[in-house]
Amino acid sequence: MDFRHTQLENGLTIITEVNGEAASLAAGFFVRTGSRDETPAVSGVSHFLEHMVFKGTDRRSAFDVSREFDNLGAEYNAMTSYENTIYYASVLPEFQPQALDILCDMMRPALRNADFDVEKNVILEEIALYEDQPKFRTYDNLMSAFFAGHPLGNRILGTNSSVKALTTEDMRSYFDGRYCPGNMTVVGVGKIDYSAFVDKVGAMCGRWTPGAASRQTACPPTATAKRVICDKKLIQQHIGLMSPAPSCQDADRYAAHLAATIIGDSTGSRLFYALVDPAIADDASTVHDPLDGAGGFLTFISAEKQRADDALRIALAEFKKFMDSGPTDLELQAAKNKIASGATLQGELPMGRLGAVGLDWVYRREYLPLAEEIETILAVTKDQVADLVRKYDLTAVATVALGPREQL
Amino acid sequence: MQALRAPRGVFDVAYSHGLRKMRPCALTRRARLPTVPEEFFIHELPNGLTLLGQKMPNVSSAAMTLLVPAGASRDATGAEGAAAIVSEWCLRGAGERDTRALNDALDTLGCRHSENVQSAHVHFGSAQLGRNLEAALALYADIIRRPRLEDATFDPCRELTRQDIVSLEDEPAQKCHVLLREKFYPYPLGRCIYGSEQSLARITAAQAREHVGRFFAPSGGIIAVAGNIDWETFRRLAESYFGDWQAPPPHPVATRKPEGGSTHVKKESAQVHIAMAQKSVPFGDERYYAARLAESILSGGMSSRLFTEVREKRGLVYHVSTHYSSLKGLAGMFTYAGTRPEVAQKTFDVIVRELLRLSEGVQPDELARSRTQLKSALVMQGQSTAARAGAIAGDWYHLRRLRSLAEICAAIEKVTGEDVLAYLKAFPPRDFTTLVIGPEPINTGGANE
Repeated sequence: MDFRHTQLENGLTIITEVNGEAASLAAGFFVRTGSRDETPAVSGVSHFLEHMVFKGTDRRSAFDVSREFDNLGAEYNAMTSYENTIYYASVLPEFQPQALDILCDMMRPALRNADFDVEKNVILEEIALYEDQPKFRTYDNLMSAFFAGHPLGNRILGTNSSVKALTTEDMRSYFDGRYCPGNMTVVGVGKIDYSAFVDKVGAMCGRWTPGAASRQTACPPTATAKRVICDKKLIQQHIGLMSPAPSCQDADRYAAHLAATIIGDSTGSRLFYALVDPAIADDASTVHDPLDGAGGFLTFISAEKQRADDALRIALAEFKKFMDSGPTDLELQAAKNKIASGATLQGELPMGRLGAVGLDWVYRREYLPLAEEIETILAVTKDQVADLVRKYDLTAVATVALGPREQL
Repeated sequence: MQALRAPRGVFDVAYSHGLRKMRPCALTRRARLPTVPEEFFIHELPNGLTLLGQKMPNVSSAAMTLLVPAGASRDATGAEGAAAIVSEWCLRGAGERDTRALNDALDTLGCRHSENVQSAHVHFGSAQLGRNLEAALALYADIIRRPRLEDATFDPCRELTRQDIVSLEDEPAQKCHVLLREKFYPYPLGRCIYGSEQSLARITAAQAREHVGRFFAPSGGIIAVAGNIDWETFRRLAESYFGDWQAPPPHPVATRKPEGGSTHVKKESAQVHIAMAQKSVPFGDERYYAARLAESILSGGMSSRLFTEVREKRGLVYHVSTHYSSLKGLAGMFTYAGTRPEVAQKTFDVIVRELLRLSEGVQPDELARSRTQLKSALVMQGQSTAARAGAIAGDWYHLRRLRSLAEICAAIEKVTGEDVLAYLKAFPPRDFTTLVIGPEPINTGGANE
């Protein structure tokens, strides 16, 4: 593995992890923007804009973008989160120049009115799609309950009315403020021809007007609100719990990842034995969600409505128990091995590596080879995990309960 | 269950900071295929169990797929859901280990494991570092040959399976696929793997044990490994664990004619979920690659016909796709769209029109693009040890041989536009089995004229 990076004069950063043995490469634009960077008036614009970026440029129609990517046999897509918008394509090594040509061009989209109007309907369909997914609704509500009043509680998709009200002028203005070179990183992973990569990005993006964007990252106050959303159409009770945890920048994030794995991995975790093994809940999992300057432990539980109280009580008791006594040696070793396996499997695919390499840079301006990351995880001690869960109160949760129950 | 394909999705941040569900990818006409030939290994044991291997360069993981011929289509009448219960139950203690000791042992080896039930098989999958493969295999020998199946652990497994059915109510898109398969395939091949609430209320531990006793058999079983493997060591160990396994081969599954037709399930969902299936050629048929190209032209990338016509031009859906799926000797082309009630009829009509229009002709550039996409996907998937273990197991089950990358690419290359049209003529887009979940029915009659 060979890490190289450079910056264009206008501030656009290019980073690559070159692996000469790989059979493919993945490239992406990481834009440091998401729903947390929106004002209420333009709620949903980051995600809508992500769709519009595929709608073509001054020299490509929407169909041209799709057709050219498909001609390369590329795997390409994009995603929008609370704080990142990522565009990516994976191709065989010989198609590096063509794939970069499309990706770089796309980043200066035409934002045509006619496309905007059609795509608005697609966004409204997407909002409806997630309405039929209780886990997503739970998550969406949990973020807004936990980050009460802070932009991290903003909905990624916006709402029907906020999306309907958006105009191309709103979007253009948001684009100008956020998609500036200083706020974007080009990432290449896999079998990359580095000098050709840098030359191509330079030729395509070097003319972009310099600029940078800021973000309010002061650690927001978090709430322990309880939000019960009664929906009689649902059969199961869906419960989400969120408590404070280390951020992306915090060295404690490794201990937090291990703690979450011990508490709520899908197999062999404390919640598995306490809730799923005895079938009190059909699903119970905890993850550590590190964000920019903030973070959370997120737990999702799905249970039948008459068992929901038990499930919630037991989960909180397990949190308490873990805070009191910390992990056992065996638990810690198992969690480390599971994380190391998972990271290795993911790291064997350029597409799997792209996210890790890109986000390490976006959040910390740092490159961490996979082997080093695994070593760091393996080096975390029992005391570090125990200290972490004493520092972050796992039971200080915001709670969302979505389902047939009126109260919980 | 086929995962829904969701282009341009919202980042699923609950599992964030690793990109979500990176589908394996990309190659083209001029694309160079890897020149190093694949290293395949096949070893058939006298008892009918087959061991398969693929050694992959430059990886440190090794993935394992174990297929036991005890799938949901084997569930006894009145004991539907047995296979699904068993897939949970086998992990609740095996050999010398109780539930916790077994799970701890898997976790300590860093096994990323999963268990699920298919029509023909109970599927166990585990991916870990190559150096832990042999130790993982020892655990799976216990799980498959010496599951404890204790009374005390039965009820929770049955209960979890029952909750799987109940949960489908909250996931209409998933439910739509489950119901469609039931109607489309000859019974019981497409039957809901969880059984029914009624069958699960009645099923006993003894019945589930009998399912294991009869169908956990070496004959027709497959153990496939791919990645950083030492084949000789693996083969020797697997033989020592499974070589003395004796059980009579299971009888063939008796089937009856599929129900087919049009079904509407009333539900006050936000979207109308439309799923339709039509017959296709099975894996191994000489027209198989023509069918896959037709699938790709319809739904292969964002320039495919369905995506372009239904989503890009008309904004009717977020998700629309067609995918090919094959049981042994029996296959279907499944199309799904989720759309708001006010445009559901229009969406259905546009989809049917596109399916019909395909049989009128295929453009050379579409065909070339689809060839490239299929071949690309092969190379991209070829980098994943888990995908390769699954692929060689699938090849063996369907074809009783392993296909090399070069063979598949040559076969894709050979398909002409005429071949695709001949396939579509043999399997015209009509006589759909349709399943609609939503507030109001839609008129699906036009599709079957």
